[in-house]
Amino acid sequence: MKNRIRVLRAERDWSQADLALRLEVSRQSVNAIETGKFDPSLPLAFKLARLFETTIEAIFDDEIAEDNRGL
Amino acid sequence: MNQLPKNPALRRYLYRFLIAMSLYVVFLVTALWAFPIYHPTGPLAYLLGILPALPIIAVIVIVGFYLAEEKDEFQQRVLMQAMIWGIGATLAITTAWGFLEVFKLVPQLPLYVVFPLFCALTGFSTGMLKSKYK
Repeated sequence: MKNRIRVLRAERDWSQADLALRLEVSRQSVNAIETGKFDPSLPLAFKLARLFETTIEAIFDDEIAEDNRGL
Repeated sequence: MNQLPKNPALRRYLYRFLIAMSLYVVFLVTALWAFPIYHPTGPLAYLLGILPALPIIAVIVIVGFYLAEEKDEFQQRVLMQAMIWGIGATLAITTAWGFLEVFKLVPQLPLYVVFPLFCALTGFSTGMLKSKYK
């Protein structure tokens, strides 16, 4: 799923490894989520949102929702 | 110097795996050594014969523990996907081999090679999946 993690990370000057440490997951996991190849579980998505002090919807972009907005 | 993985679940897995594999070597050597010398019969023969299988069965349980203890859901997903590929490939190969055996086109495959075959195929799948997710 498309997301803004790379941008949010850059704003805080965190590397993938920094974020992985904060989320208590592996760096590969952060990379897989960030590149949209792996969708995190709801608890991990909430953890991400809390860490970036925002909402899940502000981080992840569901393309179906995007299409709906276009209608 | 410390080559142990930082992930505690993975570390526990490695530790348990090494114990199981050490027991496997001991049990296998014991069985191979005792059979030709003592020619055991009855239940004792079965017990001695099954001995090397027990640590291998333990490895299956140990992998199950690892999957349950691994907190990283991505790593969990990769291993589960790899195991599904491993199961599929193992079943496909052994089924095909089985029919070739019926027609005497290939030698009989001892059943104990099925698990190492599954491990090898799962390992290969893990590599493929990790490169896909990179």
